[in-house]
Amino acid sequence: MAPPLIALIVATIAISLYNPSFLSAANLGRVASISAIPVLLAVGATFVIIMGSIDLSVQGVIALSAAITAMVLRVDDGALGSVLALGAAVVTGIATGAVSGLLHTLLRIPSFMVTLGMWFVSAGLATLLLGGGTIAVRSADLRVLILQRVFGLPLSVWLVLAIVAFAALMQARSRFGRYVVAIGGNEEIAKLSGLPIRRTRAAVFAIAGGFYGLAAALSVAQLGQGNVDIGDGRLFTTITAVVLGGTSLTGGRGGVLNSVLGVLLVTVLGNGMILMGVPPYLQQAVLGVLIILAVASSTARIREGVYK
Amino acid sequence: MKKFYQAALSRRAFLGSAASASVLATMPLVGRVFAQGDAPLLVNSIRSLSNPYHAAWNAGGEAFASRVGLDYVTLVTEGDSEKGVADIRGILARTGGNAVVNVDPNDAADARPIVEACVEAGAHVMTQWNKPDDLHPWDMGPNYVAHMSFNGEQYGRTTAEVLFEAMGGQGGILALGGTLSNTVAIQRRAGLEAALADASGVELLDYQVGDWQSSKAYDIVNTWLTRFSGQFGGIWCANDDMAIGALEALRVNGMSGQVAITGIDGIETAVQAVIDGEMVATVSWDPFWQGSIGLAIPLRARLGEIDPESLGKDKREFYAKGVVVTAENAQAFYEANFVTAPELDVDDIWARYAGPIE
Repeated sequence: MAPPLIALIVATIAISLYNPSFLSAANLGRVASISAIPVLLAVGATFVIIMGSIDLSVQGVIALSAAITAMVLRVDDGALGSVLALGAAVVTGIATGAVSGLLHTLLRIPSFMVTLGMWFVSAGLATLLLGGGTIAVRSADLRVLILQRVFGLPLSVWLVLAIVAFAALMQARSRFGRYVVAIGGNEEIAKLSGLPIRRTRAAVFAIAGGFYGLAAALSVAQLGQGNVDIGDGRLFTTITAVVLGGTSLTGGRGGVLNSVLGVLLVTVLGNGMILMGVPPYLQQAVLGVLIILAVASSTARIREGVYK
Repeated sequence: MKKFYQAALSRRAFLGSAASASVLATMPLVGRVFAQGDAPLLVNSIRSLSNPYHAAWNAGGEAFASRVGLDYVTLVTEGDSEKGVADIRGILARTGGNAVVNVDPNDAADARPIVEACVEAGAHVMTQWNKPDDLHPWDMGPNYVAHMSFNGEQYGRTTAEVLFEAMGGQGGILALGGTLSNTVAIQRRAGLEAALADASGVELLDYQVGDWQSSKAYDIVNTWLTRFSGQFGGIWCANDDMAIGALEALRVNGMSGQVAITGIDGIETAVQAVIDGEMVATVSWDPFWQGSIGLAIPLRARLGEIDPESLGKDKREFYAKGVVVTAENAQAFYEANFVTAPELDVDDIWARYAGPIE
């Protein structure tokens, strides 16, 4: 966990030397609130990636969950409707993830292909549900998650912090968490040790889906609308954050807190580059270089016999 | 061991057959539209149905088809140029060229193979928004009826001017542009720059790229509030989705309504925001009209009601008029377009003609 933490500290110092307002309470609050949704996505994806798999369905699951959230809110945008919408978003995410996980384990299709397929299936379903339109939910009670502040931070930030704490405990301390790392480290050995490989794998995709579903509900609350394109661009930042945090794409190494650091690094850099006035065409390039650096520094080249 | 392989094979064969059968079972629904006689098939080729813009485009196509009593099919590229071109070739082969095609090419370069395929098959085609600069309807014969677009520079400038006016003609502004290399984004930005050159009291503090996305705009505007706190009175956005992201970022920071915002595209939520006073302007291209007029013009050419060859270059490559939506007309525009089904406006095909593309 040291390299991303050091990178985060260095970035913070460099940006605040250039523009001291970076460290203002208001800006740190903004960084926290901008990070809330990417953190949920990255934490969900972390479980999948530690297991040595990949989940490309992020944007599709967001689209479908956001569509369902917005449709529930259209019927009732009061308190009850908002709670139901939040629940429906998470359940939709879990269900979509479970389908991916079951297809992946039962048919033994690579997670890469299954989740790519599920991306389009769920985005297609969302398009069907919304007919290509946008549902505006500007006055829904669900929006208190974003608009209501407690101790200076939006409720969504506190909610995400609580969930991250739970996920970190689950990943580091629970039997399930150890199973996931064991499968990612060496599936053959895990299998010979009698671990429930299929069940664990399927569950991990379902859990990841639940995280994406919650993120979708927060996106709807944040933008006051639900549409199919609401998750556009989220896959890239999610995988970037997980990798920058130091979770290995080959599995077995990394963790929830790594990914939180990865997200903070991406957000702080994005925020910082705008504060420093870096031209837009350079910003994307900087992120690209960082990913390559992060992967290069986290790969044990001597141990890797085969690379593809 | 042999048995195991056989079992595995048959399972795979079973699954494969089941999947194929279920896909094939849906084909009669799709295939029905191809079963037709002499009447030409109306075809709209667009990027996807998942965005409100193209969904309205498709609704316009459907409405026009039911008015003229012809069969209608929508092709979606999903951002894949190869698929876009291949699907149109497929339709041309099935109909023997008896088709009228209205296409919003995924990429400017796609227009050429699409137009060539249509001309070769004897179909009539009209392109919108994108085409290579050296591809002209008059070079391709009467089957490439026309190309229509909107003047991005003009409307980028118009929204900027409305924005400056709302700010009393002075102060700092911030701008959110579309993807850097995108032609439309470049044109709209040029319009903004032109408006800035004429407005001495207004200063552009920063220009960022929001990739057309509301979530990215939301993050950028949050950061701007730190960097330019209290220094700006307006945010110019190259599309409505980013404008929505901008206004929600202001709302979460308790600054709702304190900064003027403009967008472009005329989507429902943006028009609603203009009505609510949270945005000052947007521009609608009226995709419902684009989806219908783009079929009406080539259909008339096919039926011999207009002669493309005698139209003249200024009407075969032309700009159409957009509708600038401000507080004055927002309510009426909302009711005409989003509350009731929009009305077809295809009787006078030149009613929204704005001039030749130069």
